[in-house]
Amino acid sequence: MKATVVPGITSVTKVAKVTQRLVGRKDSVLARKTVRESLVSVAGLIGRPVRDLEGRDIGHLVDIVVRHSADTYPPVSGLIVKVEKRKSFINGARISSLTQDEIRLSSTKINLEDFKRREGESLLDADVLDHQIVDVDGLRVVRSSDLYLAPLDKEIRVVGVDISFRSLVRRLFPGALSRRPTPEHVIDWATVASLADGTGVVRTSSSRSKLSQLRPADLADLIEDLEGREQEAFIEMLEPGLAADALEEMEDDELQGLLRGLPAERSAALLEKMEPDESAEILRDLADDHRESIFKSMDAKVARELRKLVSFDEKLAGGIMTTHLLITVETDTVAHALKLLVENRERDISDGVVVVDGRGRLLDHIQVVELVAAKPTALLSTLIGAPFPTAVTPDTKLEDVVEEFGNNRGSSIIVIDEKSKPVGRILADDLVDALAEESGYRGASQGNGVLS
Amino acid sequence: MSAKLESEKSNSANKSAAKTSNKIRIGAFLAVMGPGIIAGLSDDDPAGITTYSQLGAQFAYRMLWTLVISTFALILFQDLGARIGVVTRQGLIGLVRQKYGARAGLLAVVSLVLANLGTMTAEFAGIATAGQLFGFSKYITVPISAVLVSFLVLRSSFARVEKVFFVLSAVFFAYVIAGFMSHPHWGTALHGMVTPSMPLTHDAVYIATATLGTTLAPWGLAFIQSYAVDKRLTRDDLKLLRVDVWTGSLLTGVIGFFVIVTCAATLNAHGTTNITDAAQAAAALKPLAGTLAKDLFAVGLIGAALLAASILPLSTAYSITDLMGRPSGVDDKLEEAPLFYATFGILTVIAAVLILIPGAPLITILIVTQILNAVLLLPLLLYMYGISKDKRLMGEFAATRNMRGIYLAIIAIVGVCVAAMLWFTFF
Repeated sequence: MKATVVPGITSVTKVAKVTQRLVGRKDSVLARKTVRESLVSVAGLIGRPVRDLEGRDIGHLVDIVVRHSADTYPPVSGLIVKVEKRKSFINGARISSLTQDEIRLSSTKINLEDFKRREGESLLDADVLDHQIVDVDGLRVVRSSDLYLAPLDKEIRVVGVDISFRSLVRRLFPGALSRRPTPEHVIDWATVASLADGTGVVRTSSSRSKLSQLRPADLADLIEDLEGREQEAFIEMLEPGLAADALEEMEDDELQGLLRGLPAERSAALLEKMEPDESAEILRDLADDHRESIFKSMDAKVARELRKLVSFDEKLAGGIMTTHLLITVETDTVAHALKLLVENRERDISDGVVVVDGRGRLLDHIQVVELVAAKPTALLSTLIGAPFPTAVTPDTKLEDVVEEFGNNRGSSIIVIDEKSKPVGRILADDLVDALAEESGYRGASQGNGVLS
Repeated sequence: MSAKLESEKSNSANKSAAKTSNKIRIGAFLAVMGPGIIAGLSDDDPAGITTYSQLGAQFAYRMLWTLVISTFALILFQDLGARIGVVTRQGLIGLVRQKYGARAGLLAVVSLVLANLGTMTAEFAGIATAGQLFGFSKYITVPISAVLVSFLVLRSSFARVEKVFFVLSAVFFAYVIAGFMSHPHWGTALHGMVTPSMPLTHDAVYIATATLGTTLAPWGLAFIQSYAVDKRLTRDDLKLLRVDVWTGSLLTGVIGFFVIVTCAATLNAHGTTNITDAAQAAAALKPLAGTLAKDLFAVGLIGAALLAASILPLSTAYSITDLMGRPSGVDDKLEEAPLFYATFGILTVIAAVLILIPGAPLITILIVTQILNAVLLLPLLLYMYGISKDKRLMGEFAATRNMRGIYLAIIAIVGVCVAAMLWFTFF
C-alpha cells in the first residue's frame, strides 16, 4: 500500500517539513556563524595536496575517513593519501590544518600505513558522496552533491550534506571554482541517514532517533525509494519492531523483492516481528525454497504457526486470519485479562480477550470496555453473555466471512477449529485487505512502473 | 507495464496464479514479452530498419559482417547490463555517478539523453515517413503520435496498447519471408558475414557506424539495467533474464540480417543503391507483398516507432531522476516527481518539433541519429566496462580477464568506427 490513506495529507506534511528546514533550524550547527564561515567542501578537497609541516608535498588526498560513534557529527579519523603510486593511510591526529586548498600535517616525519576498512568508519568520497542518503526531515531520498567539514568541539567533523543541483554543477568546473563551497541547500548532518559503509552499517544515533519518530508508512516509502545496498543498510538501521511495522506498509511486490535480497536470517527476524497474517501473506508468495530457508532461520514455534497460516488458501478464512489471540480461561480474573492486554499493547489487535472453557473451547470474546467496567477480582465467567462473537472455521469461504461480518456488525470474527478451539481472528481491516486484493484494487504493482 | 499486467491477472481472479511463486510469475512474464525482447524489437525501429535497408541497398551482402559484430556486441553488453542491474540493484546512471563522481555522472547522463533524444527524433521521423506512405502529412501524424504516446504511457491501459505496438512491430518478421522469396545469393551473404571488408569511403564508414549505433543502442543498455532494478529481479532471476536478453538480441540480429539480405536481393540488384525516401525502402517487400509492400512497411514502421517511442522517454526520465536522487516512474504523482515528468515531456516535444521543421530530411535523420548513438556509446560502454571489473560492486559476478578483453575489443571497434567517421567528415 502506498504511503497514506489520504494522499493529500502526506504532501502537505512534506511541504511543511521542507519549508521548516529551508527557513532554518535553530538548533542546527549550520546556524552557527563560526561553522558557516569555516565550511570546507569535501568534493573540492579530494585531489588537493597534502603537505608536511614545512609545506613540502607528501601526496594528494584520495579520500577522507570518518568514524561514526555516539557523536552527532562524525569526526575525521584519517586521510587516504596517494603518495607516489601507493595509497596510504594517515591518522587524523596528524592533521594540523585543513583548508579548502590543502591539508597540512603536524610533523615532517609521516607514518604511512596501509589502509584497511574498519567497522564503524566510512570513506566520504567512496561511500557517501554521490550516494543515496535519506533526508529524514524532508522525508525523501536524495543523492549528496557535496559534504561539508567544519571544526567543531576540537575536531574536524562532517556537519552538513549538500543536495542541490547547483553544487553538482559546480563540481564540473575546473580549478578553484569547483572547490568554493556553495552551502545554500545544506542539510544538517544530524537530520540525514547516511547508509553507505564498506564493512557494515553507519549508525548515526541522532538520525536513528529521528527515524523512530516517523510513521511506518513514511518509512515504507523511503525504503521503496532506496536502491541496492543503501536499502538494506536503512532497514538494518531501524529498530527491528519499527522495521517490521514499516515493512507491513510496503507494497507486497516491493517487499518480496526486498526479502529476496536479504539474508534468510534477517528476513526471518523481520517476519517474526510482523503480524502473523501479514507475514503469512508475504511468505505465501515467495518461492518454495526461499520460504523454507526463512522458516529454518525462525524460532521453531513461530515457524510452526506461520507454516500453518501459509498452508491455508487465501480465499478462505484461515488464509486471512491472524493467529495472534489473547486467550484466557473462564476461571481467570478480570485483572489477569487486563494485565494480558497491557502486556500486548504493542499489538494493535488487543481490543479484548477471548475466553475459553477448561477444554479450550470458545465461550466469548470480551471487550476492553467490559473488562474495565468490571471488578478486577471478578471471574471472567461472570462477564460471559450476549452479544456472543461470530465464529467461523478456517475453511469458511471469504464471501461467507463477509456475510457474517455484515450480519453481526462487529469489528472481528473468531476462527475456531473443529473442536471449537479458537485458532485465529479476522479483523475488519484484514477483510478489507483481502477484498481489495480480490477486486484488484491495489493493482499489485511491482517496481516503479517505470519500464513496461 | 508488468504492474498492470499483474493486476489484470488478479482481476481474472485466477486462484492458482496467486499461489504460484513470484519467480515463476516473472519467468512467465519474461518468456512472453521480456525486457530483452522488447529492447530487441525496439532496436528494429524505423532507424534500425532504414539503416539496415541502406546497408543492403548500398553494399549488398558485402558489409553483413558489421551486423554480425554489432549483434555480438549487443548480446554481450545487454547481458552485462542485466548482470549489473541484478547484482548492484542500481540504475546505470546512478551507479556511474556513485563510482566515478559528478563529472562522470553528468557526462553519462548527457550522452544518454542526447542519444535518446536523437533516437526519439528518429521514431517520429519513422512515423512521419509511414504517414506519408499512406498519404498523411507529417504535420498531422507527428503531433497526434506524440500526444497519443504520452497519453498512453501516462495512462493505465498502457499494457494492452504496448502489446498492440509489439504485434505491429513484429510485422518486420515479414522481412524473413521476403528474404527467402527474393532469392538472395546465400553464398555471397555467408561470405559477407564472415569476411570483414569494406570500401574505405565516406558512405561505407558512415553506414558501418550507424549499424553499430542502431544495434547497440545506448538506451537499450540503460533500459535493461533499470528494468532489472525496478522489477527487483534477483540473482535467482538472472538465468531467465539472460535467456530473454540473448533471445531479444539475437532477434535483432536475425531481423537485421533479413532486412539487409532482402534489400541486397531486391533494391541493390535492381540498381537502387541509395535510399532517399521510404517508398524506395518499402519496395524491398514487393516480392512478398506485391502492391501491398508499401502498406506493410508503413504498418511495421508505425508499430515499431510507437513501441520504442513509448519506452524511450520513460527510460530517459528514469535515468535523469536516478542521477539526481531516486529513480522515478509513472507511479509517482506529478508533484512527487516533477523532474521525471519534465524530462518525459521535454524529450517528446523537442523530438516532435525537430521533425516538424519544414523540409526536415527524414531518411537522413533516421541514419544520422544512429551515428550519433555510436559516438555517445563510447563513454557509456567504458563506464559499464569499469563497473564490470569492480569486485566491490560486482562480487563474484565481476568480469573475468577474458571477458574484459572482449569488452575492450568491442569498445575499441566502436572507437575506430567513430574515429574513421570523424576523419571522413572533417578531412
